[in-house]
Amino acid sequence: MSLLTDHPSVRWAAPVAAACLIGGGVVASRMTASADTELPTRTAAQLLNDVQSASVPGVSGTVVASADLGLPALPGPAGRGSSELSSLISGTHTMRVWAAGSDRTRLALLGSNGESDVVRNGNDVWLWSSQQKKATHLRLPAGSAAAHHESVPATPQETSRRILDTLQPSTTVSVDGTTSVAGRAAYELVLEPKQSGSLVKDVRVAIDGKTHVPLRVQVHSTRISKPAIEVGFTSVDFGRPDAGQFTFNPPPGTDVTTKTVAPQKNSAGMMNDVAGLLKATKPNVIGSGWTSVLTARVPEQMPGQKSGENGPSVDQLVGMLPRVQGAWGSGHQLQGTLFTALVTDDGRLLVGAVPPQTLYAAAAR
Amino acid sequence: MSAGSRLLRSELRLVLGRRRNQVGLLALAAVPVVLAIAVKVSVSEPGPEAPDFISSITENGLFVPLAALGLELPFILPLAVGIIAGDSIAGEANIGTLRYLLTVPVARARLLAVKYAATVLFTVVAVVVVAGVGAAIGIALFGSGRLTLLSGTQIGTGPAVLRVLLAMAYVVVCLSSLAAIGLFFSTLTEQPIGAGIAVIAVNVLSLILDQLPQLDWLGPYLPNHYWASYIEIFRDPINGEPLRSGVLVALAYALVAWLAAWARFAGKDVTS
Repeated sequence: MSLLTDHPSVRWAAPVAAACLIGGGVVASRMTASADTELPTRTAAQLLNDVQSASVPGVSGTVVASADLGLPALPGPAGRGSSELSSLISGTHTMRVWAAGSDRTRLALLGSNGESDVVRNGNDVWLWSSQQKKATHLRLPAGSAAAHHESVPATPQETSRRILDTLQPSTTVSVDGTTSVAGRAAYELVLEPKQSGSLVKDVRVAIDGKTHVPLRVQVHSTRISKPAIEVGFTSVDFGRPDAGQFTFNPPPGTDVTTKTVAPQKNSAGMMNDVAGLLKATKPNVIGSGWTSVLTARVPEQMPGQKSGENGPSVDQLVGMLPRVQGAWGSGHQLQGTLFTALVTDDGRLLVGAVPPQTLYAAAAR
Repeated sequence: MSAGSRLLRSELRLVLGRRRNQVGLLALAAVPVVLAIAVKVSVSEPGPEAPDFISSITENGLFVPLAALGLELPFILPLAVGIIAGDSIAGEANIGTLRYLLTVPVARARLLAVKYAATVLFTVVAVVVVAGVGAAIGIALFGSGRLTLLSGTQIGTGPAVLRVLLAMAYVVVCLSSLAAIGLFFSTLTEQPIGAGIAVIAVNVLSLILDQLPQLDWLGPYLPNHYWASYIEIFRDPINGEPLRSGVLVALAYALVAWLAAWARFAGKDVTS
């Protein structure tokens, strides 16, 4: 006590020590989380096989998705805090996911004042929006176990599987050591374009060391240092989730829309739509691999678009983009972090994961 | 402890007996009343853009306390807590009663603990007043019954009341960290209003920093980043992660601020 009476300022050691301990604790927990990643070496081919054969009784956890595509701010629900599914294209969002096999899944997009859920149980799919107080019930035809699976928004597993399937030929696939995701040691699989001249620097997939389930996907752009797209678990559990997660009963008073999905008729209708669109737009791909450029005619009438109903029309939006011109002509340009799009005044659309100059060269042909 | 508990009782009488504090509590209680009546008499129902729980009020009166807490949590409740906490030591020093208080046979650390406990209890009273008045008028105007969670699941009245109580407890824990910061400011000055304003400044600064997308990394370390996470209690199942982080952040700020208050107050020459 006499020490404290003689030197009152010694007491300040207590709050300083507490602050240091807490701060140090936070730093230390992060350090150990990234240091404890000892895993046996595996080649890229082995890892890809591991991923295909990965099988776990179930997955549940929290997923954080962030996108920095360099898109101009669009009117409507966007950015962080929104619980509308359409807001996922920009900003950071937190989701909770549960899955037990491919036909029992639930995804909840957490907003700061609401929640959107996609619940699939066998052939029943429910979409729920707490803000709209609306539920949509989709009945899938029996036997189409995986039919609707594709359109359920991306979990890390799905995202990485799609990327692996489509991008292998033109791509260097390698393993870049280990990392830590959601407190678990993981391999980092790197997919790098073989050609130069693409806006995509690399795609990194973190694969869990024990279960071989992809835990995180990052797409890096050559234009910004942080990932342009990142979808990853912040916490994950591989136990079988409670069956109650996959039942949804709309609360009374909810506006429920029921739709029955008939595959044959629907897909035929869609094929017609697609064929019509192809005829109108005459799409063409210039170049190959990561630097390919898609060119198309802008159709006179956008399919399914009713002007003046949902905010500004496509024409108005295009008009808001910066104007560019050169030997190839003139038009409006959208320069994102992962892709560039060019709408020329003579009605052509050019899109590619390339810098504007490549689009200009393609437009000049 | 008896000297300490008697001191606490006299502190509580002092804090809750002051006319200005009672008027403050009335002002806090007015928010849910105005909110419920406004929603009841307006012709159009709140649309999907309405913040937090306001759009759900017409379905279940128990959403009124939650919406009221949501409205008061950013500014009004911190204002009340800041003024009470700022007054705790500096108020006594300002009117010259601190030196008499120090003649009570308890150590300064315990006196500080009693002052802090009284502030936290005032916070409990404030939150209970807001939520209690909100629940009363909400159930009177809109009725109760089964409550629809954000995930679309329905729960009975009993579990619903439990979840509201849990949300209230969480809000109290969050505000207690601000009370400790206020206690520390209160030991620095003899101007209670200065200490109160400093608390509000910390709160507003933290709110602003939390809004800047460029400072996303800083957010989780700010004192009030997780406050609005009481909404996570109304998902199915309860999303515990942000709540846990919120409690940890609150405890960390409370501990450091309380120790700083002790370091300042225990060694201070009290002249007023």
